[in-house]
Amino acid sequence: MIVGSLLQLIGINLRREARSAVFSSLGVALGVGSLVFFVSLGLGVGKVIREKVFPVDQILIEVAPAAISLGSFGTSLNQGTIDRLSALPEVSAVFRKMSVRVPAISRYDGDFFGSPLRVRLEVLALGVDPGLLRDDIRLGNFADPGPGLPIPGVISSRILEAYNKSFAPTRNLPQLSGALVVGFSFPVEFNSSMVAPSVRGSPIPSQVQVVGVSDRALLAGITIPLSTAIRLNQGAGVDSQTFTGATLVAKSAELVPTIAAQARRMGLKIDDQERRMAENVGFAVTLTTSALALLSILICALAAANIAQTLFASVRARAKEIGIMQSVGASRSDVRNIILGEAAAIGMVGGALGTIGALVAEHAVDRLSLSYLPSFPFKPESFFSHPWTILLGGVSLGILAAVLGAYAPSRRAAATDPAQTLSE
Amino acid sequence: MISARRVIKSYRGAENGELRVLDGLDLHVERGEFVAVIGPSGSGKSTLLHILGGLDVHYDGEVELAGTRLRSLSDRELARFRNRQVGFVFQSFHLVPNLRVFENVLLPAFFGGESIRKADRSRAEGMLERVGLLSKKERVPSQLSGGERQRVAIARALLQHPQVLLCDEPTGNLDLQTGDEIIALFRQLQGEGLTVLAVTHEERISEAAERVLQLRTGVLLDDGDSREPGR
Repeated sequence: MIVGSLLQLIGINLRREARSAVFSSLGVALGVGSLVFFVSLGLGVGKVIREKVFPVDQILIEVAPAAISLGSFGTSLNQGTIDRLSALPEVSAVFRKMSVRVPAISRYDGDFFGSPLRVRLEVLALGVDPGLLRDDIRLGNFADPGPGLPIPGVISSRILEAYNKSFAPTRNLPQLSGALVVGFSFPVEFNSSMVAPSVRGSPIPSQVQVVGVSDRALLAGITIPLSTAIRLNQGAGVDSQTFTGATLVAKSAELVPTIAAQARRMGLKIDDQERRMAENVGFAVTLTTSALALLSILICALAAANIAQTLFASVRARAKEIGIMQSVGASRSDVRNIILGEAAAIGMVGGALGTIGALVAEHAVDRLSLSYLPSFPFKPESFFSHPWTILLGGVSLGILAAVLGAYAPSRRAAATDPAQTLSE
Repeated sequence: MISARRVIKSYRGAENGELRVLDGLDLHVERGEFVAVIGPSGSGKSTLLHILGGLDVHYDGEVELAGTRLRSLSDRELARFRNRQVGFVFQSFHLVPNLRVFENVLLPAFFGGESIRKADRSRAEGMLERVGLLSKKERVPSQLSGGERQRVAIARALLQHPQVLLCDEPTGNLDLQTGDEIIALFRQLQGEGLTVLAVTHEERISEAAERVLQLRTGVLLDDGDSREPGR
């Protein structure tokens, strides 16, 4: 029996058994639909975590001087150590970081993008090698302008997100895009504090101009050129020789563990808090997704069992019909293929219905989220991600579940003895 | 055309006893003959028909039909043999209840090893026209009378132009007049060169046949010399 004839016969059979076929396919649709929905949700949430909440670059390693413990001192991160790190063959670049080691405050009182704003807050400032933020600088040069001139500063894209989703709405302040905030200037007074008990020397009034927004910028503070931080520290008479940390760029992601091990051997510690956080949250999402996917696969297995039961009953009821087909030329394999083909068609329809249903449900959830869920940081436009492999996999799973369910009934059907059946 | 030698067929009976229904049966039917096999119920007539048509392969002995030795065939080859060489007509018609009349007639073409073409559909319509049921091709079997169902079954049996028509009590469920019409159709087909073997216990079929064989105690006994059909 050739495929064309097989398909035609399957079509005829399914049309006349439409009600039972639809019922069986609904079971498959439920399993496949929930699987596609939950996997897409897991992938979508994971994507938000990876790309927005903890945007960990897989080839970057953060190193810092080791903490003091039990009277032994870790290696200080001076230029010599930086040179040794740069000399590692697995490292393609090293970007130094130095905190401004004096306190600073910002007193803003004026127009803030059309709204009046009066705020005083302590400011943390971190100097970095310009190369680290090269791709995110949108205005001028990210270099020390010298005393008295506005200091170029980069703010964290995550803090901007938190401002837009949490801070601004509750204070009737405008929403700010990355492009809008570039060029904005605000006063920062170094060597000054509202909370520090005593500060040496006199305050250094400055202006900081935002020149970019970056995932690599300090989360709670401003990121300024390294040379500016060194100058400010020198001016305040504090340590301007050792670095607070460094970002190492590995030649490939696979080399990261090797570099981390060598840095540890140098007495440095690896600051992988964000990476671990990303991994932990990612793992939690994966675990939850896997549990829900497992539940969905269980539904598919139940659907397969239902198909098996339905087909067993159908094969019993159609024994005479199978005998008739054998009498007019159906071989055992033809009979088996007809049953499997019918199941595959049911599975395909169920898989397609389930996948379409999942897409509709995802769209509905996104619409509801947009309309009814309050705005929160990192709230995505869509909670779902469904690459074509998921959609194809949904339909394939439907077919697989149905065919597996039909396997035993098809063998029973193929074993029908036409002589006996047609004599009854 | 049909040759059976020393065919033995047994069934497992009650209390593990063996019931031998065919006991070294010999049969020879020439091309174009209309042969009736008669015998009481349970004498093994249907079993003989199933063996000759390749539906039952669990027997001893040799069966050859249209030059094909059935014992040497694989399941697939046997299926092809049933599709191409023989047509079955059963007492209970054995139509697929949910298929339309036209689809029932077309059913053998699905297993013919080629895709269903316009020619197959035309042939099925031709067969239905021949048995006078083309106007009812869209109906399902339950909407037909017994005689009409049997004519649909005959149209199906003839679709692939078989060499032999094997009929199992073909008029058993029909009234007298309809049965006569079916017998007349068999004689017409025989006149066109088709070999017809009918197992029956109805006299009117044996009267219409050229040759009548009696199945008794597992063997066939010739009821007499060949004669003019419809004697």
